[in-house]
Amino acid sequence: MASIAAAQVQEVRSITRIERIGAHSHIRGLGLDDSLEPRAVSQGMVGQKMARKAAGVILQMIREGKIAGRAVLLAGQPGTGKTAIAMGLAQALGPDTPFTSMAGSEIYSLEMSKTEALTQAIRKSIGIRIKEESEIIEGEVVEVVVERAAGGGGARVGRLTLKTTDMETNYDLGAKMIDSLLKEKVQAGDVITIDKATGKINKLGRSFARARDYDATGQQARFVQCPEGELQKRKEVVHTVTLHEVDVINSRTHGFLALFSGDTGEIKSEIREQINSKVAEWREEGKAEMIPGVLFVDEAHMLDIECFSFLNRALESETAPVVIMATNRGITRIRGTNYRSPHGIPLDLLDRMIIVPTTPYSHQELREILNIRCEEEDCQMSADALTVLTRVATETSLRYAIQLITTASLVARRRKATEVSMEDVKKVYSLFLDEHRSEQFLKEYQDEFMFDDGAGGDNAPQMMEVSQ
Amino acid sequence: MMDQDQEKVLKYLVLVEKLAEEILCDRREIVLLDKRRNQNREALRNLTKSNQQKCWLTVGSVLIKHNTEVARSLLEKDQKQLDIDINKLRCDLKVKVNNLRDLEMQPPVPGLMLVPMSLKETEGLSKAGIIP
Repeated sequence: MASIAAAQVQEVRSITRIERIGAHSHIRGLGLDDSLEPRAVSQGMVGQKMARKAAGVILQMIREGKIAGRAVLLAGQPGTGKTAIAMGLAQALGPDTPFTSMAGSEIYSLEMSKTEALTQAIRKSIGIRIKEESEIIEGEVVEVVVERAAGGGGARVGRLTLKTTDMETNYDLGAKMIDSLLKEKVQAGDVITIDKATGKINKLGRSFARARDYDATGQQARFVQCPEGELQKRKEVVHTVTLHEVDVINSRTHGFLALFSGDTGEIKSEIREQINSKVAEWREEGKAEMIPGVLFVDEAHMLDIECFSFLNRALESETAPVVIMATNRGITRIRGTNYRSPHGIPLDLLDRMIIVPTTPYSHQELREILNIRCEEEDCQMSADALTVLTRVATETSLRYAIQLITTASLVARRRKATEVSMEDVKKVYSLFLDEHRSEQFLKEYQDEFMFDDGAGGDNAPQMMEVSQ
Repeated sequence: MMDQDQEKVLKYLVLVEKLAEEILCDRREIVLLDKRRNQNREALRNLTKSNQQKCWLTVGSVLIKHNTEVARSLLEKDQKQLDIDINKLRCDLKVKVNNLRDLEMQPPVPGLMLVPMSLKETEGLSKAGIIP
């Protein structure tokens, strides 16, 4: 019964994931060459050379494990590629380094305290590497013979012949092995592994040499090469798990499904301490390696003073991840206080940070980015349409221009054209307002809107600030 | 100047090739040792099944008739030595592979030198589905 359930779970997992086109889905790395010099256009990155070079240096330091306990701040105007650089960094670090991305406002939740949310995010960004080792026998089945002893007694005799490309050997089988071989329906031509410690049999597939044994095979039939080398192998598998995952397993009260439902609630600090000491023990014995990962906090100005002082303390710990923050604020009020500070971050934390500025894109760079986005969104655009779009991007914002790509391509498709022309872009430009024109419209007709206090203009930005 | 560079490159290539050859040699050696280990195992099994007092042993190209008991102890001793040899080769292989990668300017294999966890320690993790 259990095996059936397990097989079903595997089937569900094997369905290919549908890739969404997100705002930063075109980014595949930082676009640096081997000597960390940024290439003009590479891996979806355009311009922003100084910031990318700085990110490259940070990347190298993370790889060498030298930067733990410090933080990086990406500061720049909206739409200058702060999140893009963080995403590129994550891609360049590879799948083995834990990378947690969160928005600053994510910590405000009713279910857990702010510090708990931050602690979980920090522990999600620290990985430990452990190794499993097993002795296995791997080979292609040449023949399986199971005989009942004469007289119909219970004892059965079995013999299994296995081969690799280099050798062949016989095994006499006990009753238990015979049972599990029969259960797995192992037959000549299968490639199997047998775990020496547990005796578990795993069918890898059928050998290519036997591919023509039958005319019709089921869909599940998988063909593999006959294994090479020795029969008795040592298999070593290295896993990377995050500290948070270990926390969750040890804190659950209602079965291990808690890990998948996502609703883990708060984790007791005693459990964390126990796990820390266990991991320290493993490291002492050489059984585990720490991998300090990266915690990326977008919109970091949304954190409040409590979070900042907590982070200040957390960065001191010897197993702290690299914290990368991004903010688009200038000198503003620190949330939770009445003090003003650069980037809305207290000076003592700012002092610990490496600050990387991003600057607005040039005209040429904007054109390049729009071009990349067109490719990403599968949209053919004529050269003059791209020129118009670049003008739009310089005069309004890059985000607005990117929004117009898909809408313009939809308009073009409606008139059954394969390419987006200048007229399509102009049409969507008139259909969808950008922020400036919307504001202008409101100013013109504010008397006709409801609940209007007739203020407009100068007072509006202040009202947007978050009230405490 | 040119000559010096060439010499340097040649030296480097010799170093890499030598190490790579050694690794391939060791791999081959492990396969041969495992082959002998499996043959010995088959022989031991057949000795327990047969009820004869004496048996034939091949030493090189010579056949020797020997006491079954003595033959068995010889084989068992050989098995033990084979296990030790294979394990030693495997351990050395790891160091050599890392050295080669270092020469080829590749990062070392992550976690290669870790001490493996015991079955009991990984049980909790695999039960929770974190590791397969």
